[in-house]
Amino acid sequence: MGQFVQFAINGVMAGAIYALIAVGIVSVYKATKVVNFAHGYLIMFGAYFYFTFSVIIPNQPWAPEWLLSWQPDWLVAQKADLPMFSPMGAVLDWVSNLPRIVLGLTGALIANAIVGRIIERVLMRPLMGQSVFAMIMVTVGLISIMSGTASLIWTADAANVPFLSPSAPVKFEAFGTTIFLLGTDLVNMVLALLMFAAIVAFVKFTKGGIAIRATAEDQSTAYSMGISVPKVFSRAWVLASTTGAIAGAILATRNGISPSLGLFGFSVLAIVLMGGLDSYVGVLIAAMTVGVLEAMTQWKLGGSWAEIVPYVAVLIVLIWRPHGLMGQKEVERI
Amino acid sequence: MINANLKNSYAADERVLNNTYKQMFVYGMMIVLALFTFFANDYMILIASQMGILLIAVVGINILTGYTGLVSLGHGAFVAIGAYSVTIFANLAEGIIPAGVMPFFAMPFAVALAALIGVLVGLPSLRVKGLYLAVATLAANFIVIFLIEEDLFQPWTGGMVGLTTHAPNFFGWVLDTKREMFGMIAVIGFLALLAAQNLIRTRIGRAFIAIRDRDYSAEILGISLLRYKLTSFALSAAYCGLAGALLAYFFARILPEQFELTLSLNLVAALIIGGMGRSMGPVFGVIIVVLVPELIKVLFSSAVGGSASAAQFRAPLQEIAFGLLLVLFLLKEPLGINQIVDRILRAANRWPFARG
Repeated sequence: MGQFVQFAINGVMAGAIYALIAVGIVSVYKATKVVNFAHGYLIMFGAYFYFTFSVIIPNQPWAPEWLLSWQPDWLVAQKADLPMFSPMGAVLDWVSNLPRIVLGLTGALIANAIVGRIIERVLMRPLMGQSVFAMIMVTVGLISIMSGTASLIWTADAANVPFLSPSAPVKFEAFGTTIFLLGTDLVNMVLALLMFAAIVAFVKFTKGGIAIRATAEDQSTAYSMGISVPKVFSRAWVLASTTGAIAGAILATRNGISPSLGLFGFSVLAIVLMGGLDSYVGVLIAAMTVGVLEAMTQWKLGGSWAEIVPYVAVLIVLIWRPHGLMGQKEVERI
Repeated sequence: MINANLKNSYAADERVLNNTYKQMFVYGMMIVLALFTFFANDYMILIASQMGILLIAVVGINILTGYTGLVSLGHGAFVAIGAYSVTIFANLAEGIIPAGVMPFFAMPFAVALAALIGVLVGLPSLRVKGLYLAVATLAANFIVIFLIEEDLFQPWTGGMVGLTTHAPNFFGWVLDTKREMFGMIAVIGFLALLAAQNLIRTRIGRAFIAIRDRDYSAEILGISLLRYKLTSFALSAAYCGLAGALLAYFFARILPEQFELTLSLNLVAALIIGGMGRSMGPVFGVIIVVLVPELIKVLFSSAVGGSASAAQFRAPLQEIAFGLLLVLFLLKEPLGINQIVDRILRAANRWPFARG
């Protein structure tokens, strides 16, 4: 039972990150009716940007020393009296990494926003009004372009990136076994869920969000109501790429950076379809379900089986409910 | 110049090659292919064989995506099933079936198995369409490759390290050179292309096109969606299975990673670049998809020489070129090369009276 709780918590933490990635796909779909097959590669770019700004740049000879490791006097003084491996030590380590974490996150956010903007402007906008198939296939072509570009730019071996938050271990007893969690995973989960909630609130309540929803409903009506549809499109893409940057940074600290981060996007795509393309709630449910199911599979069948869980789950759900758990059924006229 | 294209009977109008140009083209290509088989150098044979194998698979995708309008991003899985089943069948039936007739059993088995699994994967197509189907097939691709790599089936599939394949043996004639293999691939590829061209003028083919244009309308006209969508899936999977079987015969070893998503995307990209729903589309598309990376390789090695540090940039460049091709065709020429060729032919046909 204790093991079950451990794996369930791991699953929920993975699910929160899935949800954060999925929100990017849903936002783009809601505004532009394009399903972004290359979203995983946007995340990969986010991860690589985080790596660039938090590891490569601080390690340059021209970078100021405090950027790599911030050691003010009070920090050194406090560190000196601490025993080894204490939670406080982890926090202090984090504090000295703080400058480069902040630089990494801001850099990744801005750079990824620019990438998203470029993709929207150069590839997506000329296709406005074209068939959905063409738009989807453009994102498929984007997969090759992005993964090729990434391996051209970042040829260096990816080193470890700093955690976003103190990685003190958290232990507690449940059902007679010790549950062991990493503090940073918990913070990541909270961060992911907060961002998810913020985006849902943005789309629901703000003027910009209402414009996105109106565009999703009917493009030409939105136009005639004075909404700038191209602006809505680029806003949606920037939203997706910035959430992707944060998700990428989180994934970089969890799984390390590699070109296979792009493949992650496909399992998230499966999750999005499972939840229903235009439903944030459905996607959240699907992400959590898949996260927990994956953890359970990992526990019972071994790690390798876990990687096909999203795909099997999406096939089952699609046969049972063709538009996902909470997706809206399309009405077709002949 | 417009010249005689007069038909005296319905039978003449309904022929597979319904005008003299097409006939001349097909007979001419037969001669060219025969000459090519005997006189091309080994490198060209290698490239042309890869094109032939890919062509058969793309013709399959064309039936599904181009004619029936169902998008699949998972047909690499069927190529894998064809390749693996032809090899595993030969391994298991060794001794039971004499080696000289093995391909006559192994290849139909591989094609049939691929078609069967195609029907299985096609089942969601009855309920979901477009994008949802694309993701469902994508999921199927991941699952098939995963099962091939899985330790449980390793005694048969060889797991991650793949399988050593057999050279095909027709009544004692072992096709152990690439040139002989190309002969077989060319014959089969040619027949496959003609069969697909024939298919679309039959009742089944017309039903496919009706479903593509509007599936509900087609259903109202009395076309059974269940039957024809599954037929389409089975046919396209069978083509891909055939391509897989040839691929297993052609290469000395098959690895699961050959059949991953990249292959599926390659197949669809070739179709889009060539032109969807046109019989020559796959041919043009495959030529581009195989030649462009090859061209980059040649140009690149002549530009930087043999330096190893520069060589690591080659694969990314090929990848980028491939993506750019796909995107550019979608943006600038969504109907593919076939449309460009059509335009040229039309201009030639009307010359000197009108242009374009």
